[in-house]
Amino acid sequence: MSTTTRPVWPHGKRMAVVVTVDFFDAHAILTQEPRMAGREKSLSVWQYGARRGVDRLLQVFDEFSMAASWFVPGRVALDHRALVQRIHAAGHEIGNASFACEDFERLTLAQQRDSLLAAQAALNEVTGETPTGFRAPFGNWAPGFTQHLREAGIAWSSSWRGDDRPYLHPAVGSLSDASSSPLVELPLHYELEDEPYFSFNLFPPVPVGQPRIASYREVLANWQQDFAGFRHLGLLMPLRIHPEILGTAGRIDLLRELLASVRAHDDVWLCTGREVAQWWRSQHSANEPGHPVDVLAPLQQGLPAFTS
Amino acid sequence: MQPIGTALWPEGVRSTVALAFDVDGPTGNAMLDGSIWRNPSFFTLGSYGPWRAGYLLDLLAEYRIPTTFFVPGWVLQTWPAQIKAIVDRGHEIGYHGYQHEAFWQLTRERQQAVMATSLALFRKHLGLTPTGFRTPSGDWGDDTIEVLLDSGVTWSSSMRGDDRPYFIEHAASGRSLVEIPGRWELDDYASLAYQRNPDFPAGLDRIAPYDTTFDNWRREFDGSHRDGLCMTTLFHPKVSGKPGRLLLLERLLQHMRAAEGVWFATCGEVATWWREQHATAEHSA
Repeated sequence: MSTTTRPVWPHGKRMAVVVTVDFFDAHAILTQEPRMAGREKSLSVWQYGARRGVDRLLQVFDEFSMAASWFVPGRVALDHRALVQRIHAAGHEIGNASFACEDFERLTLAQQRDSLLAAQAALNEVTGETPTGFRAPFGNWAPGFTQHLREAGIAWSSSWRGDDRPYLHPAVGSLSDASSSPLVELPLHYELEDEPYFSFNLFPPVPVGQPRIASYREVLANWQQDFAGFRHLGLLMPLRIHPEILGTAGRIDLLRELLASVRAHDDVWLCTGREVAQWWRSQHSANEPGHPVDVLAPLQQGLPAFTS
Repeated sequence: MQPIGTALWPEGVRSTVALAFDVDGPTGNAMLDGSIWRNPSFFTLGSYGPWRAGYLLDLLAEYRIPTTFFVPGWVLQTWPAQIKAIVDRGHEIGYHGYQHEAFWQLTRERQQAVMATSLALFRKHLGLTPTGFRTPSGDWGDDTIEVLLDSGVTWSSSMRGDDRPYFIEHAASGRSLVEIPGRWELDDYASLAYQRNPDFPAGLDRIAPYDTTFDNWRREFDGSHRDGLCMTTLFHPKVSGKPGRLLLLERLLQHMRAAEGVWFATCGEVATWWREQHATAEHSA
């Protein structure tokens, strides 16, 4: 007797793996730790991604003949135009990650929309394509923002948590047909992210309590076990990595070894966020009853305006 | 070597394991202060525990481990089907506040109200009256024992300071609770929990390796079994019930199942046994 259902994946696959890359340059860390401003040495830790990490990740994805989903803030696309064009030309998906990794909890709903739209414009200008995927750099947005995402052409998000397979955000009303279908969410898991294990800076301290850098070998072992668990249960495993963290000479082989395990199983659907979101939308018109996202929506109603 | 606690348990039992999970879901401080309604990432992170507790129930069924689940009333009210599945599959349910309130910060009246609200929900959704309690946040006030006793609670698993059950006396009324203490070493928050905004751990220390975490927990069991004690856990479905960590739990269950003379019991069964054995010695415990 089992109380859980296993999601169905295309082509008879057992599970889905999506590799997502946050190419945030120094914007997210500047928002997270304002004391970073003007500190060239510290900022260069994060700027390493554009200098070296992106190309190292591209090389590995090429070795594995796979496409990843890259989240790029509009500002980063404008600052690293050629690099972002190279990512796009290599066949990867480019998603929207706000304009400059603003902390949405400090923005009004209108400011959040402006950030989204500015990034859509910048990414379209640089790549010639309008993104359909979105990631809120710090995970949250105001009630009502989902409607702006759909109106901006965003079909899927990978920002929230709370499940091990895609789910649908509550439908938004009174929209044109094109944007009235629900936003698909590909939920995240901290244990599948590189930043909690590896981010580090001396001063200002990152992470805040300045723990030791985790053991590479043990992190790989955790990821391998997470992969085994997600595969056993037939779920969606979204990796979240950063060019400046995993795209280093010493750590890139963690990605290689993990992807080699993924490729060693022919029942794994290694795909982009766009592909898994399209599949989910084609198969599902509602979530299972009691889904956390459907529990939350009515509890958010009547909140005062989302503003600092 | 004669185990310290051999005499504590039924014939043929060397040690006791009272496996226990706190199904906190998204309850806790951020819900109590209302900030969680603007923090969907954190709300959904916590919700995963009750929402996908089914995997854990499948694992416990495979290894036939009766388990105690401490469930805040809000979680039961929100996911009644998921919590009912826990009961239907033979496990025990205990009190854990309504929204994971810190009892030591509540007035007696608020504590009474939390217990009454929870009881009404347990009766409505599950048709049962819990007998056990684990205090959210692990601390309680001077008046909590009396509130619990007056609510019909006969045992607790709230303290940390022993490795076997003991009686907590309420001198004024001559009544007592059986306490089944846990240990931080067997709290999955201490090794595996991680979240941002609000941060946990406070200094954002790393998620521990699963392999060394298993080794710690395995050693905790080995020591408890060697000495003939009672081991309970402070595990959480949203932390150790996640896909990769279920394999860690499975290794632990396999390891414990392979030992001879382990009594796998709910906290309630342990408390009943303890009270029967020590009825006469209760006030000298």
